[in-house]
Amino acid sequence: MDSLMHIIEVRNVSFSFEGVAAKVIDNVSFHADRGEFVSVIGPSGCGKSTLLRIIAGLIRQERGKVIHLGDEIEGPVKGISFVFQDFALLPWLTNIENVKLGCSMLDISETERMRKALMELEDVGLSGFENSYPNVLSGGMKQRVGIARALVSDPDVLLMDEPFSSLDELTAEILRKDILYILKSKDLPVSSVIMITHNVEEAVELSDKIVILSHKPSRVKRVIGVDMKHPRNKHSRPFMKTVDEIYATLTK
Amino acid sequence: MVALNVLGLLAVLLTDTAFSWMRMFVALGISVLISLAVGIYAATSERAGRIILPVIDIFQTIPIVTFFPFVILIFIGFLPGVIGINAAVVFLIITSMIWNIIFGVYEAIKAMPKEFADLARLYGLSKWQKLSKVYVPVSMPRVVEQSVLSWAIGLFYLVTSEIFSAGNTAYQVKNGIGVELTGLALSGNTFGYLLGIGIFILFVIATRLLFFKPLEDYVVRYTKQGVSQGRISTRRRIYGRVMQLRLFRYLQSNKKAFTAYLVRKGGAGRGVKWRVAKVEKKTQKRGAAYYIILAALAVIILYGIFRANLAADEYSVFVALLYSFGRVWLAFIVSLAIAIPVCVYVIFLTKKSSFYLLLFQIIASIPSTILLPEIVALMRGYAYGSELIAFIVFVLSGVWYLIFSTMHVAKSMPNNVLEVKNTFGVRGVVAWKKIYIMVILPGLITGSITAIGAEWNASIVAENFQNVHVGSGIGKFLDMTIASPGFRMSLSNHYLLLMLLALLNIIIMILLINTLVWKRLYSRVARIYG
Repeated sequence: MDSLMHIIEVRNVSFSFEGVAAKVIDNVSFHADRGEFVSVIGPSGCGKSTLLRIIAGLIRQERGKVIHLGDEIEGPVKGISFVFQDFALLPWLTNIENVKLGCSMLDISETERMRKALMELEDVGLSGFENSYPNVLSGGMKQRVGIARALVSDPDVLLMDEPFSSLDELTAEILRKDILYILKSKDLPVSSVIMITHNVEEAVELSDKIVILSHKPSRVKRVIGVDMKHPRNKHSRPFMKTVDEIYATLTK
Repeated sequence: MVALNVLGLLAVLLTDTAFSWMRMFVALGISVLISLAVGIYAATSERAGRIILPVIDIFQTIPIVTFFPFVILIFIGFLPGVIGINAAVVFLIITSMIWNIIFGVYEAIKAMPKEFADLARLYGLSKWQKLSKVYVPVSMPRVVEQSVLSWAIGLFYLVTSEIFSAGNTAYQVKNGIGVELTGLALSGNTFGYLLGIGIFILFVIATRLLFFKPLEDYVVRYTKQGVSQGRISTRRRIYGRVMQLRLFRYLQSNKKAFTAYLVRKGGAGRGVKWRVAKVEKKTQKRGAAYYIILAALAVIILYGIFRANLAADEYSVFVALLYSFGRVWLAFIVSLAIAIPVCVYVIFLTKKSSFYLLLFQIIASIPSTILLPEIVALMRGYAYGSELIAFIVFVLSGVWYLIFSTMHVAKSMPNNVLEVKNTFGVRGVVAWKKIYIMVILPGLITGSITAIGAEWNASIVAENFQNVHVGSGIGKFLDMTIASPGFRMSLSNHYLLLMLLALLNIIIMILLINTLVWKRLYSRVARIYG
């Protein structure tokens, strides 16, 4: 039974902005299973970020359901975590305090909180920066703090909203390589990752499954499975074939 | 002997100024605490905001000094002597400095990246954590920025209330620089007066440099990028958009330059239009509450007239109002004529703008009313001297609001406006019409609202002051009402009603002009710029 249950299931979700008749998201359904890295891809402004916020319980959908391990999502829950596009670090808190914020929902002692945060910061490669403030960090390092904050609570679902799009291409490339390793090296691994992106290569590089959305309103155009070993070679034939396929679907 | 006298005077002036400053710090502390509570509440609860904002908007523009006699009566009624009068003064200062801080907190939270609010919900922060880790720190830069302004406004009221009460033995504030200076000026002790002003200015500078400057430096960290580089504050984005539109129009006449500019700018901020539209919708909602409050006030006034049957007195209220109205608007036009060239010079034509800003802040912290006793002493015996005194105080009260508001808004001007101006060599009349005026216009309009409010305040004080004999005016009217023997007998007497009537009249008039003139002008400008 448990093995049949999806970690996250998005079922017929629709959404439109207040006072606007046209739908932004129209009847979107997909799911993420245990161990799956799912990317949701679509043109910018198609409501991808809204969809992710609905999954996180930050925005209420108009119709449909989001189900997390059998329970319907009605607000933010403990097991679901979030990485923001613009990092969203609080500039007045030190990096370690920013990370500690991530386990506010956990019922653990202050020392335990500290221990977890220190470990997480080390895992993302930022030991030594505990007591400095976010403003001294480069963009890539800021996002590492953002990732540490999201992972410190040992979530089973990690939602990422275009996590690499605020970074320059080189930094993004390095962090993309690192993120799979960071995810894998955790003691309590994350069950599913759902990532929003508009970068096709990025989606193919990281995901097991890619959900392609249409523009205005967002509907699921196609779901493509990616079955290749990591690390993936961008110039290999299957990789390029998948990329071409996605482009073709997107522009159709 | 003489040296001893000077030393004695110095000691008296120092302690008095210290007492005044103590009142100020108490008032500022209370103001900041209340502002945080009210501002955060208004910004986080849609329904609360809809009620709180228009009310604050009104309080911000009405001349609160008019309530001083009331406040003193009430406080003295409940608290014994010294405590009562000091509480009244602190209360008055709070009512003068609090409104802009509340707005600052409100705006800071509304302009906060929405991810911060998401964050708080995602990680289930408790109410206390939300306050201490998100809402309070995010407000701090604006709180400090507004506190600097509030300090100057507060000083005005502090000195004014001290001067106000100086002549009246019934409710005299003891130990205050305003009381001391009035005494010195009116007794003809120019040396002592100048010494007092000197000490006052020293305190102002010391406060600016030793108290506010470190605070400003400290909260800089709060504004530094914790979010991605691409994100700029909404206001700056809207403003950037505005400037681009204006410049586009100008540059269209020069196609080559226009294309070059386009290429350099790339895509301009998306989504800005939507934000502007949303802001406008909000102000409309606020407008409705505004009219309701206006109507309520009008009903109270009509009821007052009806109850008291004050046909003759009421007539004189209107005449007095008309006189003050003339003075205030004439003073406003003169203030504009001073403020515009000063602002253009400081913003565009000099490299030392930050130096001038600091200089202006210090000068502006010296309340115009502190000069009142000496101006009165100097003008003794001149024909129309009283009118001139009133006029000078009016202009001095209003002009800083215009300058600061304008410079504040111009600060968010994108750097590339200056670059474009220099690259394309925009100069002379074109520069004035297409750049200078356009940049300062929004700030000038918001500044005008507060400037006129301040000039009304000045009218209450200046016309009210001993030995100022203006023909007629609302301050004069209030003074005569308070001075009449029947006053202060009971809270429900005829004179009190008369005073209330005068106050409400001022308030209604100011609010009417705000809604009919300034708000419209502002929304028109906002439309062009959006």
